[in-house]
Amino acid sequence: MFRFNRYPWSFWRLVIQTASFALLVITPLLNFYLEFDFIQGWYQSISIGDLWFVSPLEGLERILVTRDLYGPLVVGMVLPILVALLLGRVFCGWICPINYLSELSDRLRHSVTGKKEIRDRWILPRWLLWWALVGELLVTMVVGAPVFVFLSPPGLVGRELMRVVFFHTIAVEALVVVAVLLMNLLTRRFYCRYFCPLGGLLSLLARRRHLQVVINPTSCKHCGRCDAACPLALEPQNGGGEYSQCLNCGACVDACPQESLTFLWGGKTKQ
Amino acid sequence: MAEINPRRAFLKGMLVSLSLLPATASARQRYSTPLTTNRLRPPGAVSEEHFVGNCIRCGRCVEVCPYRCIRPLDLRAGVNAGTPMIDVEQIPCYLCMKCVDVCPTGALRKVSQEQTRMGVAVVDIYSCVSWQEKILCRTCYSVCPFMDRAIKLEQFKPVIDERFCTGCGLCTHACPISQEAGSGKAINIEPIYARTFALPETEVSARTGDI
Repeated sequence: MFRFNRYPWSFWRLVIQTASFALLVITPLLNFYLEFDFIQGWYQSISIGDLWFVSPLEGLERILVTRDLYGPLVVGMVLPILVALLLGRVFCGWICPINYLSELSDRLRHSVTGKKEIRDRWILPRWLLWWALVGELLVTMVVGAPVFVFLSPPGLVGRELMRVVFFHTIAVEALVVVAVLLMNLLTRRFYCRYFCPLGGLLSLLARRRHLQVVINPTSCKHCGRCDAACPLALEPQNGGGEYSQCLNCGACVDACPQESLTFLWGGKTKQ
Repeated sequence: MAEINPRRAFLKGMLVSLSLLPATASARQRYSTPLTTNRLRPPGAVSEEHFVGNCIRCGRCVEVCPYRCIRPLDLRAGVNAGTPMIDVEQIPCYLCMKCVDVCPTGALRKVSQEQTRMGVAVVDIYSCVSWQEKILCRTCYSVCPFMDRAIKLEQFKPVIDERFCTGCGLCTHACPISQEAGSGKAINIEPIYARTFALPETEVSARTGDI
C-alpha cells in the first residue's frame, strides 16, 4: 500500500518545486510552438483556463499606484492571499523558483565540496523583511509605477524563460537572478530572509496562519539539528516555527531525530 | 470589547487614507512614453499616463499573441521596462483581440475590433507613389481590414478616414515604400490616442451610420 509518511517532507517539496519549475519551462513552449494557451503566464500572473491568479504584491502595487480596484485583478489575488493566510509562506517554500534554484545549488555544493553545514556569515535582524516590504511599497508610490513587478526575482525567472523561448535572447535583468543566487554564498537565502518584498507581504499575511511547525519540548533533546537545517535560521528548537517568516518547508521536521517537530493545523502564532 | 491599540488604529487609518488619495494625484505623465510612430501599445490599452501603473509586466499578452507582434520592452526602457509594445513595421496587429482577453490588471480593457484605437494611419503624400502619380499602388487599400471604410481610394490615391482606422498597422507593414532617412514607410501609424483614450465624438454617429 502507498504510504504517504514513508517519504520525508523534502521529497514532496522537491516534487512540487520541480513540477512548479517545469510549469515555467513547459508553458512558454506550449504557447509558442503549439499555441496552447490554456495554461499561461508565470508567477506574476498565471491562468489555468479561466482560473486566474495574480501575485498579491504585484496586485497590491497596481492598486496603490492607480488607486483603482479592477474586478478581475482582485478576484485573481483572492486565492493566493487565502493560501498565505492559512498556510503561511508556502509559496516561498514549495513553489518559488528562486528557492528551488537555491536548494538545487545547495545540493550541488554539498555533492561537490562534501560539506554538509553551510555557515551563515551575515546574520541581520529579521525585521529587515518588514522594512523591505514597506520601503518597496513607498518607492512604488513615489515612483508612481509598480517597481517590484519588473525586478522581482520569482517573476524574472519566468519572464526570462519566456524570453528565451519566444525571442531566443535573454535580457540584462537576468543578472538580478544571478545576483540573488550568489547572495546565498554569503548567507543561506540571504535575499529571501531580509529583502524579498513578496516574502514580506506573505509573512505579514501569515501572522495568524493555521499551519505551523510546533515543537514538543518534552521529547526534544536540544541536539540542534533543526537549527542547522532551517534555511532561514529561525531556530525551530526554540519555537522558531511560530515566526511568521517561516516557510513551512519542513526541513526542520525532517532533520529532527526525535520526531519532536511536527506540522500542526491550528496553532498559535508568536507576534 | 477588545481594547483598541491607538498606534495600531493610527497606522490602519494612515494606510486606508493613503490608498484612498484622490486618483488625480497620480494622473500625471511623469515619464516619457516609449510610443513613437509605428511603435504602439496593444489594443484596448489605457491611456499612456496610466499604463505604467496599470501594467504588472506579467507578459501574458506577449505569450498569447499568435502573431508574435507584441514584445516586452527591456531594462533600457526605464520605468516602461517589461511593458508590451507592437512595432507594426516588423509585425502588425491582426486584431485577434486575444491579448485584451487575458490582461489580468485592466491595462488592456475589453474593446471590440472596430473600436480599437491603437493609433491612426497617416499617408506621407510626398513619398507615396500613388500620390506622386508614379505608379498605381493600392497595397494599403487592399490589406486594410476595414477596406473602403478606413482607407478609401479617391482618384486612385489612398485616403484615411480616422473614424474607422484602428491603427492596426497592416498598411504600414505592407507598404512597399521605405523612407530613405531613418525608419518609416509611406504610410505610418501615429499613436495619437495614447494620451486621451476617448473615441472621437463623431465615432458614435459613424458607427450607427448617420454622419
